[in-house]
Amino acid sequence: MRRAIVATEEATLAWIAGLANERLVDFPQTGPAGGLRFARTSPDDRLTFADYRPTVLPPGKTFAPANEVLFTFAHQADGSFRATPIIDRRPRVLAGVRPCDLAAIALMDHVNRDGDHPDPHYLARREATTIVAYRCSKPCSDRCFCAAVGSLDSDEGADILLTPVDDALLAEARTPTGEALMADLDGTPVDDPAPLVARHRAARPQPFGRQLPGSPDDLPAALERSWSSPLWETHTARCLSCGTCNLVCPTCYCFDTHDEVDLADPNEGHRCRDWDSCMLPEFAVVADGHDFRPTVASRQRHRVKRKFEYLQQKFDSRPFCVGCGRCGAQCTADIDIFDIASDVLKQHGGTP
Amino acid sequence: MSVATEAFVPRPARIIEARPFTSRERFYRLALDRPLGHHPGQFVMLNILGIGEAPISISCGPRTDNILEMVIREIGSLTQVIAKKVVGDVLGVRGPFGSGFDLDDFRGRDVLFVCGGLGLAPLRSLILPVLAERERYGRITIISGCRAPDAELYRDELRLWGAMEGVEVIRLVDSTDHQPWDGRVGLVTAPIADLEIDPGNLVAALCGPPVMYKFVVMALAARGVQSNQIFVDLERRMRCGLGRCGHCQINDVYCCTDGPVFRLSDLDRLPEALR
Repeated sequence: MRRAIVATEEATLAWIAGLANERLVDFPQTGPAGGLRFARTSPDDRLTFADYRPTVLPPGKTFAPANEVLFTFAHQADGSFRATPIIDRRPRVLAGVRPCDLAAIALMDHVNRDGDHPDPHYLARREATTIVAYRCSKPCSDRCFCAAVGSLDSDEGADILLTPVDDALLAEARTPTGEALMADLDGTPVDDPAPLVARHRAARPQPFGRQLPGSPDDLPAALERSWSSPLWETHTARCLSCGTCNLVCPTCYCFDTHDEVDLADPNEGHRCRDWDSCMLPEFAVVADGHDFRPTVASRQRHRVKRKFEYLQQKFDSRPFCVGCGRCGAQCTADIDIFDIASDVLKQHGGTP
Repeated sequence: MSVATEAFVPRPARIIEARPFTSRERFYRLALDRPLGHHPGQFVMLNILGIGEAPISISCGPRTDNILEMVIREIGSLTQVIAKKVVGDVLGVRGPFGSGFDLDDFRGRDVLFVCGGLGLAPLRSLILPVLAERERYGRITIISGCRAPDAELYRDELRLWGAMEGVEVIRLVDSTDHQPWDGRVGLVTAPIADLEIDPGNLVAALCGPPVMYKFVVMALAARGVQSNQIFVDLERRMRCGLGRCGHCQINDVYCCTDGPVFRLSDLDRLPEALR
């Protein structure tokens, strides 16, 4: 039996802050320079759901941080070596996760569980984490297009789902872990949360955020038809190939690795994994110097096709673009994937 | 869910043979802690801990012992350090990775190997098991081309293979570069027009530099060989071997897990494959 209660916002925020007594808790907080980011909380922090706007980095990045140690190594006297994987299983809570980011985490879960080689580093952190999601009542920025790509009502992967209804919060436990965690949250039990969720949805603005000029279901086919389209040149003429779009994307997960040795004892060291970016010029260059994606347009086309064609077909999933708007908001040249997707639909959508 | 924690951790492999092979490549034989259990066409991620890792083709055929053979060109920071390693030194190995060749696709057919430069190293992992069961295949042709005579890999083996019944070996260089040479001069595409082949019963395996593929494919197409009879072994940048780091992606497929060996007809829909 799943538990659902209605709690005050104040009680809910105090409860989230209190979770930090026993676990690592990340929650969107304003930094010293005024920017909002998911940051570690302490029990006496004053948290708020108000004034939410997209964090620069999506919360799911916590499961595969920008730099992490994959294993440590030590060369041995006999010339051999010992290597020890570093697996982080510290229990943590990720709270205040918005539906678009929740959708992205669900996609990354599929990616990292897939195949013959599931990623032990991602999965250890992910499985030690309880997610408290928070449904949006209004678009979080003028870049938002979550509704257009179908992530506004995502709830997969949430242990607890918070829904603002009138001046209170509906808290639904979706997993046994979430139910256990919610035991300390005071509120009024609810037998049937559906009418409250319906009331929340009815109060949302319509349309919610930016709307594409067609169905996202048409994008894979439209993108396939767009292969030689001049739109790729048009949309990348001012692209600097800086890779910012990749870094802030909740479903970008490409990486590179590098080794670091202990300067005091070069026989010891560790291998790091670092985020990489398919927009960077050297991303697809092989040892002899041949570049398989030599132009900005070819790299941008690859990025967009990953988000709206390649990965969703590979994993039989929803689009990998969840409409958070971060890549457009952070782009150093003001290139927005929403505009590219819109043009792909306008120029190559519909029946061929 | 319980997941093996060693996905990224290499295991030790001791060098038991290391020698210069050509002007730019060295030959290595490694002893692993247990058999690699690879298929022809697969690769490993080769490591020097403290320097890094890189994908390297396996050049021996499938084996039941712990041996792994490779030909390594000094071309990057890792391979330059490997070039200084000697017998007794220990490297790290992850793998084997990739799909590889399936011998069932070749059995009962005439087989053509087209190897450009270093491409002979990975194709040797297929040539050896094919020649070991010579009677299960039709006519066998090996076209092996390289830059110059001092760049030729496996010269002695190519000669031995060429002396086998029903095996034709055509050795080429782009230029003799003023060195002694007993083969032909020209590109690997040149002999294809004159090969005695039955296009309907042929299977071809190709491996070479990126520029080679489309010209060999054109030459084979001119002989009536269909794209479903051609297998290509592709090279891409790879950082994991697990289908995740993204560098080796060819449109929607990952070269490291879906390839590096592909049936050419499966690449028709992938415009990034043979660039």
